[in-house]
Amino acid sequence: MTLHRLRLQGFRNLEDATLELPAEGVALVGANAQGKSNFLEAIHYLEIFRSCRGTRDTRLIRFGEDFFRLEARIGPGASSVPEPGGDAPRSRSVAAAVQRAGPIKKVTVDGEEPPRIGDALGEMGSVLFTPDDVRLVADGPQERRRFLDIVLSVNAPGYLEALQRYRQVLAQRNAALRDRAPRATVEAWDPLLAGAGARVLRMRAAWVRAGAPTFRSVVEEVSGGERGVLAYQPGVPGGPGAPGNPGTPGSGAFPAVQPDEHEAASIDAPWGDWFAGALREGLEADRRRGTTLIGPHRDEFTMGLEPDGEDPAPKGGRDLREYGSGGQKRTAALALRILEAETVLRRRGRPALLLLDDVFAELDADRSERVLGLLDRTAAGQVVLTAPKDADVRFRHDRLPRWRISGGRIETGGEGG
Amino acid sequence: MSALDELVREFGRLPGVGPRTATRLVYHLLRGRREDAHRLAGAIEALLERVRPCSRCGTFAEADLCEVCRDPSRERSLVCVVEGAFEVQSIEKTRRYRGLYHVLGGRLSPLDGVGPDDLAVAALAERIESGQEGIVEVILATSPSVEGEATAVYLEGVLRPLGVRVTRLARGIPVGSDLEYVDGSTLAEALAGRREVRAETPAQAVGADHEDMLLRE
Repeated sequence: MTLHRLRLQGFRNLEDATLELPAEGVALVGANAQGKSNFLEAIHYLEIFRSCRGTRDTRLIRFGEDFFRLEARIGPGASSVPEPGGDAPRSRSVAAAVQRAGPIKKVTVDGEEPPRIGDALGEMGSVLFTPDDVRLVADGPQERRRFLDIVLSVNAPGYLEALQRYRQVLAQRNAALRDRAPRATVEAWDPLLAGAGARVLRMRAAWVRAGAPTFRSVVEEVSGGERGVLAYQPGVPGGPGAPGNPGTPGSGAFPAVQPDEHEAASIDAPWGDWFAGALREGLEADRRRGTTLIGPHRDEFTMGLEPDGEDPAPKGGRDLREYGSGGQKRTAALALRILEAETVLRRRGRPALLLLDDVFAELDADRSERVLGLLDRTAAGQVVLTAPKDADVRFRHDRLPRWRISGGRIETGGEGG
Repeated sequence: MSALDELVREFGRLPGVGPRTATRLVYHLLRGRREDAHRLAGAIEALLERVRPCSRCGTFAEADLCEVCRDPSRERSLVCVVEGAFEVQSIEKTRRYRGLYHVLGGRLSPLDGVGPDDLAVAALAERIESGQEGIVEVILATSPSVEGEATAVYLEGVLRPLGVRVTRLARGIPVGSDLEYVDGSTLAEALAGRREVRAETPAQAVGADHEDMLLRE
């Protein structure tokens, strides 16, 4: 999708404005703390309907205002290819508003409120790259689970529902464990936990498996030869190699066409059996510890580098979180975002709208050059990037139109370099 | 607090009644005939005085046993387990069910501190074990929420060893609704539980002997 028009009202420090965006994108140039990141946050808000920085909705309302409202007009861009037999891409409007009193949040697509906000996720098809992404590699596993949850909620039908159900059942089961409830009272939650958890496990595993080759090649290209390894480590013991192991290739590859519900239920079944069996075996340990010790809430996916030569290295390569340099971690984080963009492309049949927030700031010159080359070739769609100085805008051979931002006020009409 | 405000507050605590409606109701009572208000007060008094849980199934009754439990034409081998007495009334309105009931008084929810001991589970097991009613099948009609499902799983574990057949209400698309307006997860359930167009009824499919009783019109 291409973002044609963005209307901003009462959002952070940004001045109210209606902006027409060029189909190829735009480079927003301005000093720090002028609102560059807020601008990208506003666009991405319409993709995930929450702040990409984890800020509470009401805190996004500009000081002294009662509400904020964002509206995007999106539609086929110059680069959109009509899908054979698919829907012709058409123009749509996506809007979100939050009112301080209440607070009330309202999301609309083409003027209509969807039954659940979750139903409107992913309309923009945007992927945001920020310097903070390095935390995906450097921080604890919950950061990576959060990343997976957002990517899959937006791009895999049925994932968000399964995840929410899983969390609800897990909270109940943990409450029973905490209360030292009798065995049968705890076990009553297990079929539900295994049922919802099976789908979460399956979809996460499929995504990682499908993305591993891309991850490897992106890391290789950006780093100039290092081979990246992306590996899924389910929070359920057993796993690959276990009887009826669901991790065999071909079992529900992602993100090919999603199976219908009946088919999905039968693909989930071996995962559910596996998880249910592990819950049975772990029940006494769970009861002793007063909490559920296994399950997708303990999932991890690791990023590593394959060592040169015959070095014995742990499965999954040398863990970047522990052993990676700053540059290696940033490269891995970037590769994850490129994977996300690839997911959007496969799911939507259209290139993702790339939002690049000063991404080259912390990469060394060699890596930056290679990232530029990579993005230039893979990002066929619209790009909105920010940079503190004109000299930092090197994307697409400086052809992107320039906008300036100062004190939250955006000046359009600048010339490309 | 004035008597007027107090009644507004009491009405306001009823389900579905907001402060505006509560105020309107109170002014309506004040404006109307005094005997109407007395009759309302009397009806509430009588309700509290006369209505209590049925000693067998737990639904509301004006005698030791409720009307359903007293009705000799009801099928005694069939018990439908519901979360609350309100659901009994809903199922009765269908006039399609001829068995008896058992009211749990809630559903499992450890987060709210509700465990099996807070529900009428022991009483249900007792009804089955005593053999007085000759219960053969228990229909679990708890709600299809996460908590209702877990309650059903729990009950199944308790009841199956007692040698009764345990069944669960089917889930799917509401009769007379338009597919377009059915939410995704209901549609998904309905797809997963689809059946042949002109085959046996689902009750027969699982080998029910009670089909004629269930479907008697």
